[in-house]
Amino acid sequence: MNKLKSAVLYEYLTKVRAIGIFYLIQYLIVALIFAIVAICTEGKETGSNTLEFSSVVFVSVIGVLGYKEDFKALLQNGYTRKYIFGATICMFTLLAGTMALIDTIIGNAINFFNSNYFTLYSSLYGFGNVFANWLWLTALYLVFCSLFYFAVLVINRVGKTVSLLIGVGVCSIILLVIALFQFVFPDELVSNIGEFMMKAMGFMSDGTINFFFPIISLLVIGVVFGIGSYLIIRRTELR
Amino acid sequence: MNAIQIKNITKRYKNVTALDDVSFSFEFGKIYGFLGRNGAGKSTLINIIANRIFADQGEVLIDGIPAKENMGVHEKIFCMSEADLYDRDLKVKDHFKWTNRFYSDFDLNKAFELSKKFNLDTNKRFRALSKGYQSIFKLIIALSLNVPYVIFDEPVLGLDANHRELFYSLLLKEFENNERTLIIATHLIEEVSAIIEEVVLIDKGKVLLQKSVETLLETGYSVSGLAQEVDRYCDGRNVIGYDELGGLKIAYVLGEKTALPQGSNLQITAMNLQKLFVKMTEKGGE
Repeated sequence: MNKLKSAVLYEYLTKVRAIGIFYLIQYLIVALIFAIVAICTEGKETGSNTLEFSSVVFVSVIGVLGYKEDFKALLQNGYTRKYIFGATICMFTLLAGTMALIDTIIGNAINFFNSNYFTLYSSLYGFGNVFANWLWLTALYLVFCSLFYFAVLVINRVGKTVSLLIGVGVCSIILLVIALFQFVFPDELVSNIGEFMMKAMGFMSDGTINFFFPIISLLVIGVVFGIGSYLIIRRTELR
Repeated sequence: MNAIQIKNITKRYKNVTALDDVSFSFEFGKIYGFLGRNGAGKSTLINIIANRIFADQGEVLIDGIPAKENMGVHEKIFCMSEADLYDRDLKVKDHFKWTNRFYSDFDLNKAFELSKKFNLDTNKRFRALSKGYQSIFKLIIALSLNVPYVIFDEPVLGLDANHRELFYSLLLKEFENNERTLIIATHLIEEVSAIIEEVVLIDKGKVLLQKSVETLLETGYSVSGLAQEVDRYCDGRNVIGYDELGGLKIAYVLGEKTALPQGSNLQITAMNLQKLFVKMTEKGGE
């Protein structure tokens, strides 16, 4: 257990500096934008909303680095792939939780001082439930970490050419599914699937919002990518 | 059994067989020279032992424990690799501290002491080090780690003569103080010939020989003289290679030395390890 703890701390603490720099730069730019827009609009506009999008990009990069650097470093230090995977998932969870906490606090604080500002979560579910906001954002960041971790593992495994073909295949399937929904599937089926998707996002048919359904949905997606990543990393060789 | 046992290891890359049913052991308490030409399969085998790549067939046991994907061997083996696997943005001192957390028997003080001896600036990031100092950094970690089996893959890459001497002396001192198995994979055969006890020679994915340096140097010799005379002498002997210059010929022989025929103008001289290696792998390359 100590070995795993050391690996988790290594993966997490070597990212803390990058997180600090990321937030410093982001909020310096945001403060500048807010100041300019506030002066120009006499405080009526905020100039920027849903700052979490940049965190989504950042955690995606971390997802890639989770494989590229940490895998090599931990393999050098005698860790097995099972331990490396466990440590990486723990690091993703810690990192997603930390960043979601920072973004939730700052987003809600900005909204407290300027009601024109809205966060990614509040744009869907409104303000009021800070804990659900944090959990949802953590789950969202985890999905992006695990998605990009999975993607980089696949690219490493199959090579660039096959990866490009897979990319083209995925895009084609998406277009095909959209076409099927629009022109082929019966209206009742489309309506049922739509209702299920809305429920999965927390929007119930009676107009109420279930705050935990979207969190569970995101976690399920994250687990699917996690299982895929585990199956690949168990066979991944150092290159 | 206290050893790294390599059992029937085969590894293929598409149409190339990098290792072909390789079996041998690195026993505990010896300094090995793991020698072979470029592409002979040394690094492939080291990477399999260190669980960095997988064998297609066969297995590696460390003190009887399977090495593949097994944290049970974590405290038994360390592989200092030629490839840079460390986080390039971390400072040297931070790498030492992390290694200290990863392994239960890493001597942090020793790592800093050795850094002073090698003039390694521990406040520098890994990426800021020269190739030579990156090797030194990796050597220091390997020397400060108290595990029974340490593999050095091209340990003196980029090191100047002074640092190479310092490394060899520290290695011997380390071995004297704390018996363990040290495996040195290198091209600089003459440099390590005074240190190593046993040689494993690999070529084209197969083990050509595994013998003690003493036995090898006793049984390996060269015979020089007129070509016809040399050929007559070598008839029926295990000749591993020839050099020719005009009418003169040198034959490199493995086996028991026998007295030269009376009135012979042939000369017998001892063969050094490097020459032996070159001739044996030349033969394999024919």
